Amino acid sequence: MNLLKGVPMKRRMKHVGIGFRKDFAEDFFEKEILTPAFIEAAPENWMGIGGYWKRIFERAAEQYPVYSHGLSLSIGSPDPLDWDFLKRVKEFLQRYDIKIYSEHLSYSKCDNAHLYDLLPIPFRWDAVKHISNRIKDVQNFLERKIAIEIVSYYTPVAAEMTELEFINAIVKEADCNLLLDVNNVYVNGFNHKYDTKKFIEGLPLDTVEYIHMAGHEQVEPDLIIDTHSEPIISPVYDLFEFTVNKLPKSVPVLLERDFNIPELEELQNEMITMENICRKAWSYERAVA
Amino acid sequence: MNAQLHKFTQTQQSGFASYVRTGILPHLEGLTNNRVHHYRRLVFNVVNDSLQSAFPITHDLLEENDWEELIDNFFGTHACQSYQIWKMPFEFYEYVLNSKTKLEKKYPHLLDLLLFEWSEIEVYMMEDAELSHYNKRGDLLKDVILFNAEHKLLKLGYPVHLKNANEISRSDKGEFYVLLFREPETFKVRFVDLSVYFAWLIEEVKKKSQPLESILDEAEKIFPADKKTLLEKTIPFLNEMFERKFLAGFKK
Repeated sequence: MNLLKGVPMKRRMKHVGIGFRKDFAEDFFEKEILTPAFIEAAPENWMGIGGYWKRIFERAAEQYPVYSHGLSLSIGSPDPLDWDFLKRVKEFLQRYDIKIYSEHLSYSKCDNAHLYDLLPIPFRWDAVKHISNRIKDVQNFLERKIAIEIVSYYTPVAAEMTELEFINAIVKEADCNLLLDVNNVYVNGFNHKYDTKKFIEGLPLDTVEYIHMAGHEQVEPDLIIDTHSEPIISPVYDLFEFTVNKLPKSVPVLLERDFNIPELEELQNEMITMENICRKAWSYERAVA
Repeated sequence: MNAQLHKFTQTQQSGFASYVRTGILPHLEGLTNNRVHHYRRLVFNVVNDSLQSAFPITHDLLEENDWEELIDNFFGTHACQSYQIWKMPFEFYEYVLNSKTKLEKKYPHLLDLLLFEWSEIEVYMMEDAELSHYNKRGDLLKDVILFNAEHKLLKLGYPVHLKNANEISRSDKGEFYVLLFREPETFKVRFVDLSVYFAWLIEEVKKKSQPLESILDEAEKIFPADKKTLLEKTIPFLNEMFERKFLAGFKK
């Protein structure tokens, strides 16, 4: 077995990738159960390190295309952008030839303190302007468009517009791409009682560059927390199928699993389910080609 | 600060973030009040899990109330600066170092233990520091020794690297030196208990970039032993460090 080649291309998926986690990194190489089209990594977890984990990441990056999903940009923060951080992100993206860099439409730093979680931004017009300008600044600096993820949230804060208006306004104003996390839309629809299909139809679907899928946990009768710790449930697959059929083009799809990591066969089965949905929805691309 | 963001919006965001850190909820508009606590719970869990995983021995040593109070105070009053969460435990160590917590009376070796546990992470994760222009073989006495750069040397007041943390008391107080280094092939972090002489020697070799012969001349003036005795101690130590891949080679 040649470890540098990884799973042969023929066995790999076409559309679906996996969030690369230290918890299963060794099994990922040794067992070759997962056959992703690509891997996704948070720059914060892999840049500026050496030793064992650097070797592991380099091995993964030699074998698979890498997409990147950031944690600490805090694009929605009142605080200034951290240019030193962005410089390192840029180096990381260049070093590993990473084609997609996405971040969360939220804030994780405020009053000069990192919070290590995603807080809800007030859906307000001044926030639209503020965030759009910051996204433009980031895009100019990185010399690429970035994809902004619709995050799950459990309470609005001082909203003067709907979530959908807020997202649409930012994507338009910033001229950025959208990371459509289907599970987050499901979670938000449940928590805030809106029609998720109408919500998705209302998004600028031509800007969707990337899709995320994950599991969640219902903690109260009327509240779901986006935990990434459970298998994806059927209604989320249904919404996913609805979504991919609405998109004007095929995009990469990611399975996120951060906690309560199961046997890799279980993750592979989830990826296969999504891959089959994608192939069915996007078969016209093969026909055209 | 971006002028386009109104003061009102900034205040809402700042108030929400402050609640997450401190548990004190100011008046914020439009909240679903019975859900806000989930944010604080989730953030606290992230911080707590990260610190428990970084400091397993300290966590085991401290009573649960002491641990939780410490984490709560840390996150509530310290503004974490690291955008990489794996580096946040160092800020926790610095926070305890500077906060003069009453816990130091109860656990006199707390700071040493935190430093030791953090240092293991630091050495394990630190960026590769490859040596250039060196020979693997050389003369221990006449050539300039080069150490594996992926290491850290600590001076401790308690033997947290030698004794079970639960069994350490004030009577153990002393002066201890420990070397932590990353093996270049396995990437595992190893530690070596050092005498004050060997700790000094490592620092001198790094600082002076001179052959052992001249460093021993200096050592003779500081330590109560003649050069011959020091040499008899030093050569086996350096040979062992070479075997263990801490001594990487000799300057060209």
